[in-house]
Amino acid sequence: MAGRSSQERDGLERQNAALIAVFERAGFDHIAPDIIQPADIFLERSGEDIRARTFVFTDPGGAEMCLRPDLTVPACRYHLSHVEDPSAERRYCYLGPAFRFPDELLSPQEFTQAGLEWFGAGEPVAAEARVLKLTISALEAAGLTRYRVTFGDLGLFSALLDDTEMPARWRQRLRHHFWRPHAFRDLLQSFSAGGGARQSSISPLVSRVAEADALAVVEAEISARSLPLVGGREPREIADRLADKAADRRERPLDPAKADQLNAYLAIAGEASGIDSRFQSIGGSERFAGARNYYARRLFEMEELGLNPRRFHFAAGFGRELEYYTGFTFQIEADVDGGAVTVAGGGRYDNLLSDMGAPSPVPAVGCAIHTDRLRAVLL
Amino acid sequence: MSILTFAMPSKGRLMEAASELLGRAGLGIDRLGAERGYRGQLRGIEDVEVAFLSASEIAQNLRDGKADLGITGQDLLEEKIPPDEGSVMLLLRLAFGGADVVVAVPECWLDVASMADLDDIAESFYERHGRRLRVATKYRNLTRRFFAARGVTGYRIVESLGATEGAPAAGIAEVIVDITTTGSTLAANHLKVLDDGVILRSSAVLAVRTAGREDPRVQRLAAALAAPV
Repeated sequence: MAGRSSQERDGLERQNAALIAVFERAGFDHIAPDIIQPADIFLERSGEDIRARTFVFTDPGGAEMCLRPDLTVPACRYHLSHVEDPSAERRYCYLGPAFRFPDELLSPQEFTQAGLEWFGAGEPVAAEARVLKLTISALEAAGLTRYRVTFGDLGLFSALLDDTEMPARWRQRLRHHFWRPHAFRDLLQSFSAGGGARQSSISPLVSRVAEADALAVVEAEISARSLPLVGGREPREIADRLADKAADRRERPLDPAKADQLNAYLAIAGEASGIDSRFQSIGGSERFAGARNYYARRLFEMEELGLNPRRFHFAAGFGRELEYYTGFTFQIEADVDGGAVTVAGGGRYDNLLSDMGAPSPVPAVGCAIHTDRLRAVLL
Repeated sequence: MSILTFAMPSKGRLMEAASELLGRAGLGIDRLGAERGYRGQLRGIEDVEVAFLSASEIAQNLRDGKADLGITGQDLLEEKIPPDEGSVMLLLRLAFGGADVVVAVPECWLDVASMADLDDIAESFYERHGRRLRVATKYRNLTRRFFAARGVTGYRIVESLGATEGAPAAGIAEVIVDITTTGSTLAANHLKVLDDGVILRSSAVLAVRTAGREDPRVQRLAAALAAPV
């Protein structure tokens, strides 16, 4: 349909006024980040998959611009340009259009997003519970009654990984692959099968590096074959990776019981308030215990705010597609006949502001509501 | 019977090989109009009009319904037509125009053998170099699909419309996705194909609008083109 009728527009605007009023009443500053944004921040941050869905164009000066594909990054840019000290606490809310090339029948290419972002909050657990509470309150104010809340917690996984004995570089690679269940399982498998066992076209070179100084081997090879140094990577970087590969071969394989433990954790799913016994059965040590404690405090905060976590669902693997989150993640699905429609999501993303130029990491929690989907559900 | 539009490459190896096969089956082509006209008529089958187009336009013409069947490269067909698009189908792989679409990196990247290595590098590239790893290609869609299927996300595509193999040396990109027959152009540019970096083993293909695949004229052309070169 090419546009909305006056009735459709009015219905959406009334609903969205109810959403944003909840955020404003809670003391969130209602800002209007730019619709047109420099493309680089999105593209450098998100990579090609988001780029494929972003409307990108070139301004007359040759700079790449885009229509914002979501409002979190624009809100971060707003914060960085308006506040002298980016670590200062600020609470923002917004309501406005975002644009994406559609990837499924359900998703329109322009849609209105309502949301909030809370930067620099002093008490992290309280901020997480409060953001969830506000999201639910806003949805209820708009008329949603039947919904399901699911959350995940990357902090628990990260802590369990830190408690698991293995070389730091393996841990780093596993953390990076958390987002891709298949690659994660393969990698974990290769660590417990004995690192670097697989033969490849560079295996002979790895063998040579294992016997000598990596940088000397790389420089000799480059000069013997007269290879031009293109591609922006220095011999040092190349040598370091080869040395890591050689070290992987010598490394004691990961204890299969430890690999099982990580997989067992990732399979945990169930009612959110009764899940700690499952965490306990996993084991782990000090850091995992700390993360369990943090989880319990968050549940307590939720209850303090009048939420009932017994109605919420926890899934350890939840959030594996949402790459910029760093801790608590949540999603709210509206119950509809024959299924569920995701109408809101959010979580903690402590690295985004520093990735965008803040001098040090700034705690950040936020949510976004897909108002057009919500409207469709409520009609 | 309505006229069937048969799109053929206007020049090059694909055009020559296809014309020869059709000629052997008694299906010569008369180019209409001026000496090298862009329209032609097929001898031997009634109501077929030949449209000579650049190979890259043929897939688009099929998708838009401006052509009913056509000869083009499988690489171009898969690049221009999404896999879930049902309106055009590959009817026949032909015995010519073979080439591979590959992922290639600089030879001096001695530590990189596989897509997993590339993923590893892509992930830390931003931290080390302040920007994303860049992939130069004219195959934007094939690249995205292949990289996504292997979980590689931390890169960006730089559109390249010619001499893609020169992109790393020119500092426009670090990695390329390009088509190669013998690999000699890659080698001359000090690039190597990743162990698991073959995206597509392409050849010339006969593609057809799905709705018209049972048309006897289509069947006859397919039979003529199925012969060995």
